[in-house]
Amino acid sequence: MGDAVRLLLNADAELFGIVARTLVISSVATLLAMLVGIPIGYALARGRFRGRTMVLSAVNTGMGMPPIVIGLLVWLLLSRSGPFGSLGLIYTREAMVLAQFLIATPLVVGFTAASIQSLPPELPDLLYSLGAGRLRRLWIIAGEAQLGLLAAIMAGFGAVISEVGASMTVGGNLRGSTRVLTTAIVTETGRGNLSFALALGVMLLALAFAVNILLTRIQQRQRG
Amino acid sequence: MDVSVTDLAVTKNGRTILQVPGLRFPRGSTTAIFGPNGAGKTTLLRTIAGLERVERGEVRVGGLPAGREPLARGLVGMAFQKAMFLRGSVRRNLDLALRLRKVPALERRTRLEEAAAECGIASLLERPARELSGGEAQRVNLARVLGLRAPVTLLDEPLAGVDRIARTQFLSELPGVLARFPATTILVTHDREEAFRLADRLVVLIDGQVRAAGIKGFVYAHPPDRATAELLGYTAVVVDGRVLAIPPGSLRVGNGPLPFMVEVERVIDMGNHLHVLGTVGEQRVDFRLPSRVAPPEEGSTLRVHAGADAVMLDG
Repeated sequence: MGDAVRLLLNADAELFGIVARTLVISSVATLLAMLVGIPIGYALARGRFRGRTMVLSAVNTGMGMPPIVIGLLVWLLLSRSGPFGSLGLIYTREAMVLAQFLIATPLVVGFTAASIQSLPPELPDLLYSLGAGRLRRLWIIAGEAQLGLLAAIMAGFGAVISEVGASMTVGGNLRGSTRVLTTAIVTETGRGNLSFALALGVMLLALAFAVNILLTRIQQRQRG
Repeated sequence: MDVSVTDLAVTKNGRTILQVPGLRFPRGSTTAIFGPNGAGKTTLLRTIAGLERVERGEVRVGGLPAGREPLARGLVGMAFQKAMFLRGSVRRNLDLALRLRKVPALERRTRLEEAAAECGIASLLERPARELSGGEAQRVNLARVLGLRAPVTLLDEPLAGVDRIARTQFLSELPGVLARFPATTILVTHDREEAFRLADRLVVLIDGQVRAAGIKGFVYAHPPDRATAELLGYTAVVVDGRVLAIPPGSLRVGNGPLPFMVEVERVIDMGNHLHVLGTVGEQRVDFRLPSRVAPPEEGSTLRVHAGADAVMLDG
């Protein structure tokens, strides 16, 4: 433990590189999941269309999908012999973003749909009758559902920053390129370098905690 | 401002739930759309607000097609049955409604406080809107729509969710409050007392169709069919193969025009009168007798007749 603390205090460029890479990959994946997942969640909550229950069931299943399965699917798509192999994306940060995006999106969709559904169903009509345009309505509704929407973002980010299977499979854990905190922990543990693995674990927890503190503060500040 | 409905049909899930050949709500009138649950009352109100997609026909508000143009939407204010509020105080909710209607800041404050005072919610303005009781919430709901000062005000069951004691108080205040915000007011209710106390005109809606419309006294005195008569409080009995609609308090004991027999089931002494419950064939009837008369025996048969205000219906 003492070694782990010493390593953290004397953090080198490689450790900072891993932390920064982890933060960037998981943040970009979460951001993309929000851009895609929040509108889909809204549409699922408000829409009345054939197959809605099926889609919601698929989303709920996706919320519990093991990351390694998603990693495997992305690997099959992007590997040299896969349908998108020619893009040369396998073992890149982009591939890791794609896999993490696929892990986070069902969580964002599911949480968003639940939070929008908890609002009065006639709220959009009330706002429409008061003269609010489409964008204004969406903005007000998002404000009303913000507890749930921020929970969606936290769930998505929490899932991707802590997953290891998909990142290892599609990123390849290449030193200086696709190595992130979780895959580095696996590597260092395998090497018997437990102090370094522990230091990385502490960094991972601290990172997740810092992001969640920020989001929770926003979430709770506007509660009322 | 006049509201007119022409050749309207609204369809949901392939079923026509509202069909109105023509209807007019004159400027400055207060009309109650009255009918049982599921009659299409709220759908008609939402159509006037421009919130329903119509299959056929149109609604015009002050000559403009309802809902499609922002200008027409600005002429209508609607209080929904369920009082919905956003996070924050009552003041924030009332202010947001006025902001969405683009009312200038200075005027917003005046309007907000005026509506709050008239609706008896001035003391609630800083309270969280989502923590109000049913009665308080409906008052705030009303203040929000009246503050808009729209030429057309729509109220969907304005006393829904209000407990009995608060309802009595609110119902006695409402006509005065509505009078202080001049508008063409259209309200929806399934409660006869509310309809008669709040409105000067009635539209009776049953199964998506207008059965009667006009000045409330006229509509009450001329029910066109049995369902409308019963909805208006008449008791319908079949006498000599025809339906006789008898308004409350109109049954008399003894011989008269169109007499018929009532099987007495129960006699309840109400202190100042006797309440008699009985049957005419399959139809249950009830009527009052003065407490000074000898009560009829339960199980006996009593000859009665309807007063001159009873209405003979065709079917």
